[in-house]
Amino acid sequence: MHLATPQVAAAPAHDHRNRRPSRLGRALAAALVLPLALGTAVACGKDTPSGPQTITLNMFYWGGETRAKLTDQALALYKQKKPNVTVKATWQANQGYFDKLATLVAGNDAPCVYQMDDNFLADYADRVALDLTPYTNNGKLSVSKFPPSLKDYGTVNGKLSGVAFGENTPGMVYSKTKVQELGVEEPQTGWTWEKLITWATDATAKSKGKYYGTMDPSADYKAFWMWIRQSGKQLYNGSQLGFSKEDVVKWFDMWKGARDAKAAPPADILSVANAGDVTKQIVVTGQGMTSFMWANQMPELAKNTKDQLGVVAYPGDPSAQWARASMYLSVFKGCANKDEAVDLVNFLVNDTEAGKILGTERGLPSNLDVRAAVESSVTDANMKTSIAFENDISTKFGTAPPVPPKGHSTVRSELRKAAESVQFAKATSAEAADAFIAAATAALAK
Amino acid sequence: MALTTAAGPTLREPQPSRITGRRRGSGKGPVREGPAGYVFLSPWLLGLMGITAVPMLLSLYLSFTNYDIFTPISEVEWVGLDNYRRMFTTDPTFWKSVTVTAKFGLIAVPLKLAVALGVALLLNRERRGVGLFRSLFYLPSLLGGSVAVALAWYTMFSRDGAFNTFLRLFGIQGKPWVADPDFALETVMVLAIWQFGAPMVIFLAGLKQIPGELYEAASVDGAGRWRQFVHVTLPMLSPVIFFNLVLETIHGFQGFTGVFIISNGQGGPVDSTLMYTLNLYIKGFTDFEMGYAAALAWLFLIVVGLITVVLFTTGRFWVHYSDER
Amino acid sequence: MSAEAPALPAARRSGVPGVRQVGRILVLIAILAVALYPLLWMVASSFKSQTEISVAGNISLIPREFTPGNYREGWAMLGEPFSSFFINSLVIAGLTIVGNIASCLVAAYAFARLRFRLRHFWFAVMIGTLLLPQHVLVIPQYILFRTLNWTGTIAPLVVPHFLATEAFFVFLMVQFMRGIPRELDEAAMIDGCGPFQVFLRIILPLSRPAIVTTTIFSFIWTWNEFFRQLVYLSDITQWTVPVALRQFIDSSGQSAVGPMFAMSVLSLLPVFLFFLFFQRLLVEGINTSGIKG
Repeated sequence: MHLATPQVAAAPAHDHRNRRPSRLGRALAAALVLPLALGTAVACGKDTPSGPQTITLNMFYWGGETRAKLTDQALALYKQKKPNVTVKATWQANQGYFDKLATLVAGNDAPCVYQMDDNFLADYADRVALDLTPYTNNGKLSVSKFPPSLKDYGTVNGKLSGVAFGENTPGMVYSKTKVQELGVEEPQTGWTWEKLITWATDATAKSKGKYYGTMDPSADYKAFWMWIRQSGKQLYNGSQLGFSKEDVVKWFDMWKGARDAKAAPPADILSVANAGDVTKQIVVTGQGMTSFMWANQMPELAKNTKDQLGVVAYPGDPSAQWARASMYLSVFKGCANKDEAVDLVNFLVNDTEAGKILGTERGLPSNLDVRAAVESSVTDANMKTSIAFENDISTKFGTAPPVPPKGHSTVRSELRKAAESVQFAKATSAEAADAFIAAATAALAK
Repeated sequence: MALTTAAGPTLREPQPSRITGRRRGSGKGPVREGPAGYVFLSPWLLGLMGITAVPMLLSLYLSFTNYDIFTPISEVEWVGLDNYRRMFTTDPTFWKSVTVTAKFGLIAVPLKLAVALGVALLLNRERRGVGLFRSLFYLPSLLGGSVAVALAWYTMFSRDGAFNTFLRLFGIQGKPWVADPDFALETVMVLAIWQFGAPMVIFLAGLKQIPGELYEAASVDGAGRWRQFVHVTLPMLSPVIFFNLVLETIHGFQGFTGVFIISNGQGGPVDSTLMYTLNLYIKGFTDFEMGYAAALAWLFLIVVGLITVVLFTTGRFWVHYSDER
Repeated sequence: MSAEAPALPAARRSGVPGVRQVGRILVLIAILAVALYPLLWMVASSFKSQTEISVAGNISLIPREFTPGNYREGWAMLGEPFSSFFINSLVIAGLTIVGNIASCLVAAYAFARLRFRLRHFWFAVMIGTLLLPQHVLVIPQYILFRTLNWTGTIAPLVVPHFLATEAFFVFLMVQFMRGIPRELDEAAMIDGCGPFQVFLRIILPLSRPAIVTTTIFSFIWTWNEFFRQLVYLSDITQWTVPVALRQFIDSSGQSAVGPMFAMSVLSLLPVFLFFLFFQRLLVEGINTSGIKG
């Protein structure tokens, strides 16, 4: 009952302006919330001990069957160590995951432990996620073995809202096969963007128009982010945009030039690839020689093409890249068994045995000791390549930026919309930049 | 009131006394049994009250708040008409979604109905193998809105797709339809029309319900095929045509799945496939502006409701019910 | 594809196939060819290897590398055999059909044939429930079902159908019922039938097209419904076909296109067979002359 009462009772007290939930509204809300409050009281009983010690924790994550199997194994191991805690894990595809999570949260059914990504970390931070900082201070949750930027990358407004559950970094995947076929230079980490475009123009010509030298990532927030950092700016300054319209115009113009020079494919091919689907990237469809992806996606990309693939950093100064969390684990702040939930998170992230079981399926293990133990057991050649790449580039990483603020997801889609409008020649770079900045600012202002 | 169409001419009659359950049919109007009506209606009423009405009313309430999913409903702030004002003034995607939806509804719906009716008429005639034909035509509709369909559509309508290959046979250079902001919506329309099986089946069922004697009587009177069609088929089919018209219109404007799978949930390229309900979904679940989404939903209900009222009103003039005189 | 064309009826009175007949069939076949190409492509793709599917310009109906392994892989891919998803979908579909038929028939009878106060108002409300975009109802309904403790079960997916919440079918049945001549009702009433009897003896038997149509649509919609099934079912053992199919291609890493096509093709089969069987019931027309006698 302690969980539910504040929701009903707190209604009138808090705002200062001339707004109050109408009586009708409150009555309606109460009509649903009151039984819900009682229901929650009953539901609390599910999580609280039936015997003196047994606890059930709900865990929710996205992934595929492989991840599910591995996670189940890791959880079985946890059960051995903590027999009084049963973890009920639910999983599903990424598509619809966040819709369902939001619905669960709204329906007061939020899982105690859930997977999160940096798209929504800030949105969920205050109101849903438990602040884990106290737990790192009292030793219940350890993040000391993490690369520092990885730990910081889960902190929103000073509160640790998510523990990195795997490390990832952007990687430009390219087709080694086509490179050899054309007899051109192999892409290297450290190339400038201009060099990439020149190289690509040449490559397209050598291929006699069969395919294009490079993907045009102007719609991709990852590429834009790198490029902005390389210009000495940040994507976000707190909850404001950290760049100006001129930057955007320069970015769009650069890629317009690339398309005009035939270094990159035309808009319709780009728009399909912009959706992010692994099977639609031009490096696998055979329409282009590079794609801008996450380094971890290399094995999956490799499955879709007969070409041999390689990976390097995004063009420009590699110190623009940083250790990004591929996903996080967060704890629901209304969880009835917070301590146990945090302990579970700590186990999954720091325990070496668990790490060995979970492998690199979610990304490189965040805990560096675990990572060292795991790497040696990887067998897949493409996975090895991407790990080698990540290890190499992590020596060049720069400081991690703060986690994107609320509204980041909208900023991403607005960038895509604006870039595509330039790609399809529906707008000039200047117009698109204006539209993008306006929409992005509005999204962040909420 | 427009909706009296459904009730037929009863409204013009004097109200009978409802109490006596014993009055036998007088030959005019519906059966006059008082309590029976509500008895038969009770499951629906229960469903309405229990499952539909409260969530609908709650969403109406939320449309006047800034509900963002994370704040408990009892604590949301009332913002009055702000959401509604915002729609019309400061939200560029709103108008875009309206034009996209209007375009879709006004083109795809009539076409789909026409194809459905046409094929139903064709299939109604044949005797042999008609079941198989009918099922084959229905196959596309069975697919719903799956990822498989989306991929198939990309394959058909992308730059190197099947459709362009076909056009090349005639020397026509095709465009990258599905990935082109000028044509992406049209490919979704084709998808909608492709799944004409549903209204087709309903037309077929309606055609089957037309008593054979009517055709016999008409041909005895010397009416040829065409006149039989106009004077027997169309009027007898009109309740079903009306049904399909209303429902396809509503569903057409509500179109979500087609654009969702084709544009990967984004409404692209460049918002060219941003239908109204897709925009609503994005605002509600991705931007967490559920209060605004609720306002969008209720505006939709009002507008489409008005359109439906118009359909019902004009329906009085051409829909023929067998239970009227 | 031309194998589907039925042979022209041999016993035509004139002995010569009419031009009209041939023309009609040709038109049908042409439309069919266009309509079925995407499907044939899907079937073909279910036998293609992953690298062949992803390559641009993959439009051929003949796989270069015949990969029937897609079927085996897809079947077992999610840990649970795909059959369990079929069964889950079947159960929900079956219950939905029963619920829809039972509840919508009685509600439609009330609207179509009975008189009661506020009838037009309720009819308008019923149509109104069709109009609201579903996404804004997800959360309020979830809260409702959470309160009843039905989340995580199939109850929220099935029970509403027993309460005629699908206005589509109520309206459909109303329209069909209004096509039944009222003289039949009156004849029955003169014989002493009350509204119940009229319903059972007259309306119900004559509502077969409506019932069959409802059955078909209920089945197909349930078979294809994704979002609500995703929200209310949690464990993989409860998953239905659409939820499972989404699992194959995922922006978070999976890209098992071949198995996805394979399972999509497989899931078409039950629906297709269901339809093939039930649409036969639509063939017989209604002959009312016998009843009048």
